[in-house]
Amino acid sequence: MARYQGWFAFVLALAIAAGMFLLRTPLELGLDLRGGSQLTVQVQPAGEITRVGSEEMEAVKAVLERRVNGLGVAESTLQTVGDTQLVLQLPGEQDPTRAARVLGSTAMLEFRAQKPGAEGDLRSLRQLRSQVRAILRLRDEQALNGDSDNNDGIDLDQLAEAQKLFGLDGEATSETDQLQQLLAKVNEEIVQQFEPAALTGKDLVTAGRQPLQNNPNSWEVTLSFNSDGAEAFAELTKSIAGTDRLLGIVLDGQAISEASVGPQFEAAGISGGSASISGNFTAEEARELEVQLRGGSLPLPVEIIEVRTIGPTLGAENIRRSLVAALSGLAFVAVFMVIAYRLPGAVAVVALSLYALFNLAMYALIPVTLTLPGIAGFILSIGMAVDANVLIFERIKDELRRGNTLIRSIDTGFSEAFSSIVDGHLTTLISCAALFFLGTGLVKGFAATLGIGVLLSLFTALTCTRTLLRFLMGYSGLRSPNNFLPNSQLPTPSA
Amino acid sequence: MVDASSTATAAVRQLRWSLSSMRRRVWLISAAVVVVSLIGLLLSWLDPAIRAPLRPGLDFTGGTQIQLERQCDPACADLKAIAVSDVIRDLTLPKEGNAPLPQLNAPRVQLLDAGQSLVLRLPTLSAAQGQTVIQAVEPVAGPFKDGGQSVDTIGPSLGRQLLQSSLVSLLVAFAGIAVYISFRYDRRYALLALVALAHDVVIVCGIFAWLGLFFQLEVDSLFAVALLTIAGYSVNDTVVVFDRIRERTQQGSDLPLSLQVDQAVSATLTRTLYTSGTTLMPLLALVFFGGATLYWFAIALAIGVVVGSWSSIALAPSLLTLWEPQGD
Repeated sequence: MARYQGWFAFVLALAIAAGMFLLRTPLELGLDLRGGSQLTVQVQPAGEITRVGSEEMEAVKAVLERRVNGLGVAESTLQTVGDTQLVLQLPGEQDPTRAARVLGSTAMLEFRAQKPGAEGDLRSLRQLRSQVRAILRLRDEQALNGDSDNNDGIDLDQLAEAQKLFGLDGEATSETDQLQQLLAKVNEEIVQQFEPAALTGKDLVTAGRQPLQNNPNSWEVTLSFNSDGAEAFAELTKSIAGTDRLLGIVLDGQAISEASVGPQFEAAGISGGSASISGNFTAEEARELEVQLRGGSLPLPVEIIEVRTIGPTLGAENIRRSLVAALSGLAFVAVFMVIAYRLPGAVAVVALSLYALFNLAMYALIPVTLTLPGIAGFILSIGMAVDANVLIFERIKDELRRGNTLIRSIDTGFSEAFSSIVDGHLTTLISCAALFFLGTGLVKGFAATLGIGVLLSLFTALTCTRTLLRFLMGYSGLRSPNNFLPNSQLPTPSA
Repeated sequence: MVDASSTATAAVRQLRWSLSSMRRRVWLISAAVVVVSLIGLLLSWLDPAIRAPLRPGLDFTGGTQIQLERQCDPACADLKAIAVSDVIRDLTLPKEGNAPLPQLNAPRVQLLDAGQSLVLRLPTLSAAQGQTVIQAVEPVAGPFKDGGQSVDTIGPSLGRQLLQSSLVSLLVAFAGIAVYISFRYDRRYALLALVALAHDVVIVCGIFAWLGLFFQLEVDSLFAVALLTIAGYSVNDTVVVFDRIRERTQQGSDLPLSLQVDQAVSATLTRTLYTSGTTLMPLLALVFFGGATLYWFAIALAIGVVVGSWSSIALAPSLLTLWEPQGD
């Protein structure tokens, strides 16, 4: 008996420890329960790199991490998933638009010198670009004020001609799309008028932003280079200072602005290692470019392949509903167990409550991020935990029906049921392991909670139920077979 | 301790389910259900609108799904799904880089929970384009509850990966279980456990194929999870029965195998029914109180539990009697 009292104290201490731990450590909730956005990014091979290896992934992750930090969303996490994917979680974020934009572009910044003799082509391209931009701005204003489209001072014929020239006629559905397409094409064309990059964003130390002095609605992005970059920038500006050639600033293959370099820099170029880009940025655009440039350019292009957003009230509703389901399921099971198995049934209910407590404590300890499929895994594992108890109690009943004494029946029941409990749990564990190591996302969360549940169920069924039962058997008032089985099913002692 | 006569009476009393005498009927029932399931999978495959054994959902095909909770205090404003799809069809989306604009001419609009929530199924949209759609729909279907929206966008490549990883983990789980059972029991038991497992998985898939054909029900990644769980549960259930059969045969009883199987099944019948019952209770609670997200998941699991119990108390043990020398 003393042995079981020791075990009983141990189980009790474990339960108190688990309870205390849970009170101090809140459970981590997944985005489907607390609301927020999740973006999955696929890293793609490009150029000489035909396979994305772990080194490339590290490099991409480091850049994206810096960009994510620049976004300033609290508790955001970025994790590598599988071989070539990254998952960004933004708790509480309802509109992932900005995050998607900041994450998705390569942010390859280049400074290039204009090709000699390209002045004519460049001038007409830039003129076309400013016209397209003007119309886009006009349409924006008209849409804002609710005015109908009017075409004051716009040469539509010239635009149509340009579209035909670039082979863009009839592709896009709306006027805005056509203009955007044309703008992108013109910007690419402009890049063609420049020499290869003399300086890239690699040599950037930091970036900032400020509104233009003459126009506070338009922002510029300021850059400072390291010594290599400063040297290259001085060299580059020196080579075109005082000529008609322009300095081109290119981002991800699109020309964003061009500048002329005055003759005063002919001797030494622009030194000091700082520059600014004023490409008609709004405050928001300037901030995004700043974040991207500070984070550095991505060594490989990425594609956003999954975006999931869920509102916080929807998440709270999910919690409420699964809680109701879990509790009512448990209540049904508890009532059933007490009716079917009497005293041991009640013991099993206590053991199952301990089981639920240990489970939650494990989630907090590891920690497991609780998601909706995770809760489903937990609820299902309760069913499996009950199974272990049912197996044991059925065996005890069998032994009692054969006329064995109570204590002996309990011991035989546990030892006889042991092998099938272990087999059943282990086979479930094999499926869990396959799901956990080969599955992704939702599947992983489900496998984790089910797997933990199965392991703990082995412990509670074989230890807690047994300890509690043997402890109660220490009280002679409870030591009656009738607490286990109706009298009618017991063999008569004299038989 | 126990005299022979009481063992014999116990054996007779416990024969509540004389399985081997009706094993043909058991096989016929299982075979019929499996055939109907296979027909469902085949018809679904031949259906030009599906072209797969099961109707794949957003998780597998890729696309964007937007769910919006409408403010329904005191009552929802009347809304016709067609009004929403008209708005979406006329919508101009903002351009995203150089990617071609998604075509919005066939949006799928559903109203759930008596019009309380609006679900839109669209081709893959960027985050910004998704917001444009929400803003455009708001005047017609709004006002929406603050924080009550969810937007899921899944690229087509992700769906393929998901399908692949689900299949691979299912096969690995099958193989792992087979190895474990051959190691703990023998190869006959492993083979039968896998037959029972395949039987359960095929039937659950078949039921969902028919649901897909008649009610446009789609399977998502949670369905894949459900299948894998059913696989684990089914084997768990079968193993307990096998454990009893092995125990009896090892005791060196000279009873015929079919009688030993019958006794083992009868002895575990209560346990199997109770366990299925207690597993079904939380699952049914999920079905009734768990909300839309887990609804079909819980139903798939519940069907799996019922079919799994059948295969472990009827199909797998009755197949085991096939190894008995014929002639009695």
